[in-house]
Amino acid sequence: MRRTFITFLTLLLLWAVVAQVNHVLDGHVYLFVGGLFVTYAALSLPLRDGLAAVVLAGLLCDAGVPVPFGLHALLFGAAHAVVFNIRDHVPREETAARVVIALLLNLALFLALSFALVGRGPAPGAVWPRLILDLVCSQVGLALVAPWFFALQSRTLVLAGVERDSLA
Amino acid sequence: MPHNRFDQARPFLTLLLVVLAWLAVPVVVKTFARTSFFELQAPVSVAASYARDLQEYWTLRLHTNSELIEAGRDLARLAATYELSVQQNASLQAEVARLEDLLKMPPYADYRSEYARVVRRDFSGWWQRLVIRKGKNYGIPVGAPVIFSGGVVGRVTEVYAYTSVVELISSPGVRLAAVIDGETQPISFQGGVNPAFDTPKGVIEFVPLNVFASSTMPKRLVTSGLGGVFPPGLGLGTVTRVEASADGLFKTGEVELDPRLHSLTEVTVLVPLNPQ
Repeated sequence: MRRTFITFLTLLLLWAVVAQVNHVLDGHVYLFVGGLFVTYAALSLPLRDGLAAVVLAGLLCDAGVPVPFGLHALLFGAAHAVVFNIRDHVPREETAARVVIALLLNLALFLALSFALVGRGPAPGAVWPRLILDLVCSQVGLALVAPWFFALQSRTLVLAGVERDSLA
Repeated sequence: MPHNRFDQARPFLTLLLVVLAWLAVPVVVKTFARTSFFELQAPVSVAASYARDLQEYWTLRLHTNSELIEAGRDLARLAATYELSVQQNASLQAEVARLEDLLKMPPYADYRSEYARVVRRDFSGWWQRLVIRKGKNYGIPVGAPVIFSGGVVGRVTEVYAYTSVVELISSPGVRLAAVIDGETQPISFQGGVNPAFDTPKGVIEFVPLNVFASSTMPKRLVTSGLGGVFPPGLGLGTVTRVEASADGLFKTGEVELDPRLHSLTEVTVLVPLNPQ
Protein backbone atom coordinates (compact mmCIF):
# COMPACT_ATOMS: atom_id res chain seq x y z
CA MET A 1 0.00 0.00 0.00
CA ARG A 2 2.77 2.41 0.99
CA ARG A 3 4.79 1.41 -2.06
CA THR A 4 1.76 2.08 -4.28
CA PHE A 5 1.22 5.47 -2.69
CA ILE A 6 4.86 6.55 -3.01
CA THR A 7 5.03 5.39 -6.63
CA PHE A 8 1.79 7.21 -7.36
CA LEU A 9 3.25 10.41 -5.88
CA THR A 10 6.24 10.20 -8.23
CA LEU A 11 3.83 9.69 -11.15
CA LEU A 12 1.84 12.73 -10.00
CA LEU A 13 5.08 14.71 -10.10
CA LEU A 14 5.76 13.43 -13.62
CA TRP A 15 2.25 14.45 -14.69
CA ALA A 16 2.76 17.96 -13.22
CA VAL A 17 6.12 18.45 -14.96
CA VAL A 18 4.84 17.26 -18.33
CA ALA A 19 1.71 19.44 -18.00
CA GLN A 20 3.89 22.50 -17.38
CA VAL A 21 6.16 21.66 -20.32
CA ASN A 22 3.14 21.30 -22.61
CA HIS A 23 1.80 24.62 -21.30
CA VAL A 24 5.05 26.36 -22.20
CA LEU A 25 5.17 24.72 -25.65
CA ASP A 26 1.98 26.68 -26.57
CA GLY A 27 0.57 23.88 -28.70
CA HIS A 28 3.40 23.97 -31.21
CA VAL A 29 4.17 20.41 -30.24
CA TYR A 30 2.77 18.08 -27.57
CA LEU A 31 4.79 15.78 -25.34
CA PHE A 32 3.28 12.43 -24.37
CA VAL A 33 5.19 10.23 -21.92
CA GLY A 34 2.70 7.45 -21.15
CA GLY A 35 5.49 4.87 -21.33
CA LEU A 36 7.23 6.47 -18.36
CA PHE A 37 4.12 6.05 -16.19
CA VAL A 38 4.28 2.29 -16.62
CA THR A 39 7.88 1.16 -17.07
CA TYR A 40 9.40 1.38 -13.57
CA ALA A 41 6.32 -0.05 -11.85
CA ALA A 42 6.13 -2.96 -14.29
CA LEU A 43 9.85 -3.79 -14.14
CA SER A 44 10.64 -3.28 -10.47
CA LEU A 45 7.54 -3.49 -8.28
CA PRO A 46 5.41 -6.48 -7.22
CA LEU A 47 2.34 -7.10 -9.39
CA ARG A 48 -0.37 -5.65 -7.14
CA ASP A 49 1.56 -2.55 -6.03
CA GLY A 50 2.76 -1.75 -9.55
CA LEU A 51 -0.61 -2.32 -11.20
CA ALA A 52 -2.44 -0.25 -8.60
CA ALA A 53 -0.01 2.67 -8.99
CA VAL A 54 -0.20 2.51 -12.79
CA VAL A 55 -4.02 2.33 -12.87
CA LEU A 56 -4.26 5.27 -10.45
CA ALA A 57 -1.87 7.25 -12.66
CA GLY A 58 -4.01 6.36 -15.66
CA LEU A 59 -7.10 7.69 -13.89
CA LEU A 60 -5.15 10.86 -13.07
CA CYS A 61 -4.37 11.31 -16.77
CA ASP A 62 -7.99 10.54 -17.70
CA ALA A 63 -9.41 13.16 -15.34
CA GLY A 64 -8.00 16.14 -17.21
CA VAL A 65 -8.70 15.19 -20.81
CA PRO A 66 -11.81 14.59 -22.95
CA VAL A 67 -11.58 10.79 -23.20
CA PRO A 68 -13.84 8.13 -21.66
CA PHE A 69 -12.84 7.96 -17.98
CA GLY A 70 -10.70 4.85 -17.64
CA LEU A 71 -9.14 4.80 -21.14
CA HIS A 72 -5.63 5.74 -19.99
CA ALA A 73 -6.02 3.46 -16.97
CA LEU A 74 -6.96 0.52 -19.20
CA LEU A 75 -4.10 1.16 -21.62
CA PHE A 76 -1.58 1.63 -18.82
CA GLY A 77 -2.88 -1.51 -17.08
CA ALA A 78 -2.58 -3.56 -20.28
CA ALA A 79 0.94 -2.23 -20.90
CA HIS A 80 1.85 -3.08 -17.30
CA ALA A 81 0.57 -6.66 -17.70
CA VAL A 82 2.59 -7.19 -20.90
CA VAL A 83 5.84 -5.79 -19.46
CA PHE A 84 5.38 -7.58 -16.14
CA ASN A 85 5.00 -10.85 -18.03
CA ILE A 86 8.33 -10.48 -19.85
CA ARG A 87 10.33 -8.73 -17.17
CA ASP A 88 12.30 -11.82 -16.17
CA HIS A 89 13.55 -12.14 -19.75
CA VAL A 90 15.03 -8.63 -20.00
CA PRO A 91 17.96 -7.03 -18.11
CA ARG A 92 15.52 -4.96 -16.07
CA GLU A 93 18.10 -3.51 -13.66
CA GLU A 94 19.96 -1.78 -16.51
CA THR A 95 18.89 1.78 -17.24
CA ALA A 96 19.42 1.41 -21.00
CA ALA A 97 17.04 -1.56 -21.13
CA ARG A 98 14.46 0.34 -19.10
CA VAL A 99 14.69 3.32 -21.46
CA VAL A 100 14.23 1.07 -24.51
CA ILE A 101 11.16 -0.54 -22.91
CA ALA A 102 9.77 2.89 -22.00
CA LEU A 103 10.24 4.04 -25.62
CA LEU A 104 8.49 0.97 -27.01
CA LEU A 105 5.63 1.32 -24.53
CA ASN A 106 5.30 5.01 -25.31
CA LEU A 107 5.09 4.27 -29.02
CA ALA A 108 2.40 1.62 -28.47
CA LEU A 109 0.36 3.80 -26.09
CA PHE A 110 0.59 6.85 -28.34
CA LEU A 111 -0.61 4.87 -31.37
CA ALA A 112 -3.42 3.23 -29.37
CA LEU A 113 -4.64 6.62 -28.13
CA SER A 114 -4.32 8.13 -31.61
CA PHE A 115 -6.39 5.40 -33.24
CA ALA A 116 -8.99 5.75 -30.48
CA LEU A 117 -9.29 9.54 -30.72
CA VAL A 118 -8.38 10.61 -34.23
CA GLY A 119 -11.77 9.75 -35.77
CA ARG A 120 -13.51 12.60 -33.91
CA GLY A 121 -12.05 15.31 -36.15
CA PRO A 122 -13.41 16.53 -39.48
CA ALA A 123 -10.34 15.32 -41.42
CA PRO A 124 -8.66 12.39 -39.61
CA GLY A 125 -6.05 11.96 -42.35
CA ALA A 126 -4.84 15.54 -42.03
CA VAL A 127 -4.09 15.11 -38.32
CA TRP A 128 -1.47 12.35 -38.75
CA PRO A 129 1.51 14.58 -39.75
CA ARG A 130 0.97 16.55 -36.53
CA LEU A 131 0.64 13.35 -34.48
CA ILE A 132 3.80 11.86 -35.98
CA LEU A 133 5.78 15.00 -35.14
CA ASP A 134 4.37 14.93 -31.60
CA LEU A 135 5.38 11.28 -31.33
CA VAL A 136 8.95 11.93 -32.51
CA CYS A 137 9.35 14.84 -30.06
CA SER A 138 7.81 12.76 -27.26
CA GLN A 139 10.22 9.89 -27.89
CA VAL A 140 13.22 12.25 -27.84
CA GLY A 141 11.96 13.96 -24.68
CA LEU A 142 11.25 10.62 -23.01
CA ALA A 143 14.72 9.25 -23.84
CA LEU A 144 16.28 12.35 -22.25
CA VAL A 145 14.17 12.36 -19.12
CA ALA A 146 13.73 8.62 -18.47
CA PRO A 147 17.07 7.90 -16.66
CA TRP A 148 16.42 10.80 -14.28
CA PHE A 149 12.86 9.69 -13.62
CA PHE A 150 13.77 6.04 -12.97
CA ALA A 151 16.46 7.20 -10.53
CA LEU A 152 13.94 9.52 -8.87
CA GLN A 153 11.41 6.72 -8.45
CA SER A 154 14.03 4.35 -7.11
CA ARG A 155 15.49 6.88 -4.65
CA THR A 156 12.05 7.99 -3.46
CA LEU A 157 11.14 4.41 -2.59
CA VAL A 158 14.46 4.02 -0.75
CA LEU A 159 13.99 7.30 1.16
CA ALA A 160 10.45 6.28 2.09
CA GLY A 161 11.86 3.06 3.52
CA VAL A 162 9.88 0.70 1.31
CA GLU A 163 12.82 -0.49 -0.78
CA ARG A 164 16.38 -1.35 0.22
CA ASP A 165 19.19 0.74 -1.23
CA SER A 166 20.89 -1.47 -3.82
CA LEU A 167 24.09 0.62 -3.46
CA ALA A 168 24.35 0.06 0.27
CA MET B 1 4.07 -26.90 -15.64
CA PRO B 2 0.44 -25.73 -15.04
CA HIS B 3 1.71 -23.65 -12.10
CA ASN B 4 4.21 -22.00 -14.46
CA ARG B 5 1.44 -21.20 -16.94
CA PHE B 6 -0.69 -19.67 -14.21
CA ASP B 7 2.25 -17.50 -13.13
CA GLN B 8 2.59 -16.26 -16.71
CA ALA B 9 -1.11 -15.46 -16.96
CA ARG B 10 -1.32 -13.88 -13.50
CA PRO B 11 -0.74 -10.24 -14.63
CA PHE B 12 -3.42 -10.57 -17.30
CA LEU B 13 -5.88 -12.26 -14.93
CA THR B 14 -5.32 -9.49 -12.39
CA LEU B 15 -5.88 -6.88 -15.09
CA LEU B 16 -9.02 -8.70 -16.21
CA LEU B 17 -10.33 -8.66 -12.65
CA VAL B 18 -9.61 -4.92 -12.39
CA VAL B 19 -11.40 -4.25 -15.70
CA LEU B 20 -14.43 -6.35 -14.67
CA ALA B 21 -14.57 -4.55 -11.34
CA TRP B 22 -14.34 -1.21 -13.17
CA LEU B 23 -17.21 -2.15 -15.50
CA ALA B 24 -19.35 -3.02 -12.49
CA VAL B 25 -18.76 0.34 -10.82
CA PRO B 26 -21.81 2.67 -11.11
CA VAL B 27 -21.51 5.81 -13.27
CA VAL B 28 -22.01 8.02 -10.21
CA VAL B 29 -18.90 6.59 -8.60
CA LYS B 30 -16.92 7.06 -11.82
CA THR B 31 -18.06 10.68 -12.11
CA PHE B 32 -17.09 11.25 -8.47
CA ALA B 33 -13.71 9.62 -9.09
CA ARG B 34 -13.09 11.78 -12.18
CA THR B 35 -13.95 14.96 -10.27
CA SER B 36 -11.76 13.88 -7.35
CA PHE B 37 -8.77 13.20 -9.60
CA PHE B 38 -9.25 16.54 -11.35
CA GLU B 39 -9.45 18.36 -8.01
CA LEU B 40 -6.24 16.56 -7.03
CA GLN B 41 -4.53 18.04 -10.10
CA ALA B 42 -6.01 21.52 -9.66
CA PRO B 43 -3.79 22.78 -6.80
CA VAL B 44 -0.67 21.77 -8.74
CA SER B 45 -1.75 23.66 -11.86
CA VAL B 46 -3.05 26.68 -9.95
CA ALA B 47 0.13 26.92 -7.85
CA ALA B 48 2.21 26.83 -11.04
CA SER B 49 0.07 29.60 -12.58
CA TYR B 50 0.48 31.79 -9.47
CA ALA B 51 4.24 31.20 -9.66
CA ARG B 52 4.20 32.34 -13.31
CA ASP B 53 2.21 35.45 -12.35
CA LEU B 54 4.77 36.25 -9.65
CA GLN B 55 7.59 35.73 -12.14
CA GLU B 56 5.86 38.14 -14.54
CA TYR B 57 5.38 40.66 -11.73
CA TRP B 58 9.08 40.67 -10.87
CA THR B 59 9.97 40.95 -14.54
CA LEU B 60 7.71 44.03 -14.82
CA ARG B 61 9.33 45.50 -11.69
CA LEU B 62 12.57 45.71 -13.67
CA HIS B 63 11.10 48.40 -15.96
CA THR B 64 12.39 51.92 -15.41
CA ASN B 65 10.18 54.79 -14.23
CA SER B 66 10.38 56.53 -17.62
CA GLU B 67 9.16 53.34 -19.34
CA LEU B 68 6.23 53.20 -16.92
CA ILE B 69 5.41 56.88 -17.54
CA GLU B 70 5.41 56.25 -21.31
CA ALA B 71 3.17 53.18 -20.87
CA GLY B 72 0.81 55.19 -18.65
CA ARG B 73 0.57 57.95 -21.25
CA ASP B 74 -0.19 55.42 -24.03
CA LEU B 75 -2.84 53.81 -21.85
CA ALA B 76 -4.45 57.19 -21.14
CA ARG B 77 -4.76 57.83 -24.89
CA LEU B 78 -6.23 54.38 -25.41
CA ALA B 79 -8.68 54.91 -22.55
CA ALA B 80 -9.84 58.21 -24.12
CA THR B 81 -10.50 56.43 -27.43
CA TYR B 82 -12.42 53.66 -25.68
CA GLU B 83 -14.45 56.18 -23.70
CA LEU B 84 -15.77 57.55 -26.98
CA SER B 85 -16.56 54.01 -28.17
CA VAL B 86 -18.42 53.29 -24.92
CA GLN B 87 -20.62 56.37 -25.47
CA GLN B 88 -21.35 55.29 -29.06
CA ASN B 89 -22.05 51.76 -27.85
CA ALA B 90 -24.52 53.03 -25.23
CA SER B 91 -26.47 55.01 -27.82
CA LEU B 92 -26.48 52.02 -30.21
CA GLN B 93 -27.73 49.72 -27.46
CA ALA B 94 -30.52 52.16 -26.68
CA GLU B 95 -31.43 52.20 -30.38
CA VAL B 96 -31.45 48.36 -30.50
CA ALA B 97 -33.67 48.21 -27.40
CA ARG B 98 -36.06 50.75 -28.96
CA LEU B 99 -36.27 48.77 -32.24
CA GLU B 100 -36.74 45.47 -30.35
CA ASP B 101 -39.58 47.05 -28.44
CA LEU B 102 -41.09 48.53 -31.60
CA LEU B 103 -40.91 45.24 -33.56
CA LYS B 104 -41.79 43.15 -30.49
CA MET B 105 -38.63 41.04 -30.97
CA PRO B 106 -37.21 38.88 -28.20
CA PRO B 107 -34.17 40.63 -26.69
CA TYR B 108 -30.65 39.26 -27.12
CA ALA B 109 -29.35 37.26 -24.18
CA ASP B 110 -27.54 39.41 -21.65
CA TYR B 111 -24.18 38.42 -20.19
CA ARG B 112 -21.91 39.36 -17.33
CA SER B 113 -18.18 39.31 -18.13
CA GLU B 114 -15.97 37.23 -15.86
CA TYR B 115 -12.25 37.64 -16.52
CA ALA B 116 -10.12 34.58 -15.74
CA ARG B 117 -6.41 33.77 -15.86
CA VAL B 118 -5.33 30.74 -17.84
CA VAL B 119 -3.91 28.10 -15.52
CA ARG B 120 -2.91 25.47 -18.06
CA ARG B 121 -2.90 25.13 -21.83
CA ASP B 122 -3.30 21.58 -23.12
CA PHE B 123 -3.06 21.53 -26.91
CA SER B 124 -2.46 18.28 -28.75
CA GLY B 125 -3.51 16.74 -32.03
CA TRP B 126 -6.25 14.95 -30.05
CA TRP B 127 -7.73 17.82 -28.06
CA GLN B 128 -7.35 21.58 -27.48
CA ARG B 129 -8.25 22.73 -23.98
CA LEU B 130 -7.54 25.42 -21.42
CA VAL B 131 -7.95 25.32 -17.66
CA ILE B 132 -8.93 28.70 -16.20
CA ARG B 133 -8.68 29.93 -12.63
CA LYS B 134 -12.39 30.42 -11.94
CA GLY B 135 -15.08 27.82 -11.40
CA LYS B 136 -18.11 27.27 -9.21
CA ASN B 137 -16.75 29.88 -6.80
CA TYR B 138 -17.52 32.55 -9.44
CA GLY B 139 -20.74 30.99 -10.75
CA ILE B 140 -19.28 29.85 -14.07
CA PRO B 141 -21.85 27.58 -15.79
CA VAL B 142 -21.17 24.68 -18.15
CA GLY B 143 -21.60 25.78 -21.77
CA ALA B 144 -20.75 29.45 -21.20
CA PRO B 145 -19.00 31.13 -24.16
CA VAL B 146 -15.40 32.22 -23.65
CA ILE B 147 -13.91 35.10 -25.62
CA PHE B 148 -10.77 37.24 -25.90
CA SER B 149 -9.80 40.38 -27.79
CA GLY B 150 -9.45 38.38 -31.02
CA GLY B 151 -12.92 36.79 -30.84
CA VAL B 152 -14.17 33.42 -29.65
CA VAL B 153 -11.90 31.17 -27.57
CA GLY B 154 -14.35 28.32 -27.00
CA ARG B 155 -16.89 27.20 -24.44
CA VAL B 156 -16.78 25.94 -20.88
CA THR B 157 -17.16 22.16 -20.83
CA GLU B 158 -16.42 21.30 -17.21
CA VAL B 159 -16.71 23.35 -14.03
CA TYR B 160 -14.94 22.43 -10.79
CA ALA B 161 -14.66 24.07 -7.37
CA TYR B 162 -12.25 26.83 -8.40
CA THR B 163 -11.22 25.95 -11.94
CA SER B 164 -13.04 25.35 -15.24
CA VAL B 165 -12.11 23.62 -18.46
CA VAL B 166 -12.59 25.45 -21.76
CA GLU B 167 -12.71 23.54 -25.02
CA LEU B 168 -11.17 25.68 -27.75
CA ILE B 169 -12.82 26.30 -31.11
CA SER B 170 -9.76 24.63 -32.65
CA SER B 171 -10.68 21.38 -30.88
CA PRO B 172 -12.08 18.63 -33.12
CA GLY B 173 -15.14 18.23 -30.87
CA VAL B 174 -16.39 21.82 -31.24
CA ARG B 175 -19.10 22.55 -33.78
CA LEU B 176 -21.05 25.81 -34.04
CA ALA B 177 -23.13 27.91 -36.41
CA ALA B 178 -21.33 30.75 -38.15
CA VAL B 179 -21.89 33.32 -40.90
CA ILE B 180 -19.62 35.24 -43.21
CA ASP B 181 -19.37 38.78 -41.79
CA GLY B 182 -22.11 40.93 -43.35
CA GLU B 183 -24.13 37.98 -44.68
CA THR B 184 -26.99 35.98 -43.21
CA GLN B 185 -26.71 32.42 -44.55
CA PRO B 186 -25.63 30.08 -41.74
CA ILE B 187 -22.55 27.86 -42.13
CA SER B 188 -21.37 24.94 -39.99
CA PHE B 189 -17.96 25.48 -38.38
CA GLN B 190 -15.85 22.74 -36.85
CA GLY B 191 -12.35 22.96 -35.38
CA GLY B 192 -9.86 20.21 -35.87
CA VAL B 193 -6.70 20.50 -37.91
CA ASN B 194 -3.90 21.96 -35.82
CA PRO B 195 -0.58 21.65 -37.62
CA ALA B 196 2.59 21.84 -35.54
CA PHE B 197 4.37 25.23 -35.56
CA ASP B 198 1.49 26.77 -37.53
CA THR B 199 -1.73 28.67 -36.86
CA PRO B 200 -4.71 26.56 -35.75
CA LYS B 201 -7.29 25.86 -38.41
CA GLY B 202 -10.95 24.95 -38.65
CA VAL B 203 -13.27 23.62 -41.30
CA ILE B 204 -16.54 25.04 -42.63
CA GLU B 205 -19.29 23.01 -44.25
CA PHE B 206 -22.64 23.74 -45.92
CA VAL B 207 -21.24 26.96 -47.40
CA PRO B 208 -23.66 28.45 -50.00
CA LEU B 209 -22.43 28.29 -53.58
CA ASN B 210 -22.42 32.08 -53.92
CA VAL B 211 -19.67 32.47 -51.28
CA PHE B 212 -16.15 32.95 -52.61
CA ALA B 213 -12.95 33.31 -50.61
CA SER B 214 -9.24 32.70 -51.08
CA SER B 215 -5.97 33.53 -49.37
CA THR B 216 -5.75 36.72 -51.45
CA MET B 217 -9.40 37.59 -50.83
CA PRO B 218 -10.16 36.23 -47.34
CA LYS B 219 -13.53 36.62 -45.64
CA ARG B 220 -14.12 37.12 -41.93
CA LEU B 221 -16.14 34.40 -40.21
CA VAL B 222 -18.27 35.37 -37.21
CA THR B 223 -20.73 33.65 -34.89
CA SER B 224 -24.31 33.59 -36.14
CA GLY B 225 -26.07 33.73 -32.79
CA LEU B 226 -28.05 30.61 -33.75
CA GLY B 227 -28.11 27.94 -31.09
CA GLY B 228 -28.17 30.46 -28.29
CA VAL B 229 -24.70 29.84 -26.84
CA PHE B 230 -22.59 32.50 -28.55
CA PRO B 231 -23.84 36.06 -29.12
CA PRO B 232 -23.83 37.01 -32.82
CA GLY B 233 -20.94 38.84 -34.46
CA LEU B 234 -18.00 37.44 -32.49
CA GLY B 235 -14.94 36.74 -34.65
CA LEU B 236 -14.04 33.10 -35.31
CA GLY B 237 -11.34 33.37 -37.94
CA THR B 238 -10.64 34.06 -41.59
CA VAL B 239 -11.95 31.93 -44.42
CA THR B 240 -8.97 31.41 -46.73
CA ARG B 241 -10.30 28.71 -49.04
CA VAL B 242 -13.65 27.41 -50.25
CA GLU B 243 -14.27 24.71 -52.82
CA ALA B 244 -17.28 22.76 -54.05
CA SER B 245 -18.13 19.74 -51.92
CA ALA B 246 -18.49 16.25 -53.40
CA ASP B 247 -22.30 16.49 -53.69
CA GLY B 248 -22.12 19.85 -55.50
CA LEU B 249 -24.94 21.31 -53.39
CA PHE B 250 -22.70 23.27 -51.05
CA LYS B 251 -19.07 24.27 -50.60
CA THR B 252 -16.58 23.34 -47.91
CA GLY B 253 -13.66 25.49 -46.79
CA GLU B 254 -10.79 26.17 -44.46
CA VAL B 255 -10.71 28.77 -41.71
CA GLU B 256 -7.52 30.19 -40.26
CA LEU B 257 -7.99 30.89 -36.57
CA ASP B 258 -6.28 33.60 -34.55
CA PRO B 259 -2.68 32.55 -33.81
CA ARG B 260 -2.96 34.17 -30.37
CA LEU B 261 -5.34 31.36 -29.36
CA HIS B 262 -2.33 29.23 -28.47
CA SER B 263 -0.66 31.75 -26.19
CA LEU B 264 -3.59 33.09 -24.19
CA THR B 265 -2.94 34.12 -20.60
CA GLU B 266 -6.33 35.67 -19.83
CA VAL B 267 -9.84 35.12 -21.20
CA THR B 268 -13.35 36.41 -20.55
CA VAL B 269 -16.21 34.07 -19.73
CA LEU B 270 -19.65 35.38 -20.74
CA VAL B 271 -21.97 34.25 -17.97
CA PRO B 272 -25.65 34.44 -19.05
CA LEU B 273 -27.64 36.70 -16.72
CA ASN B 274 -30.96 34.98 -17.44
CA PRO B 275 -30.12 31.34 -18.24
CA GLN B 276 -33.02 29.46 -19.86
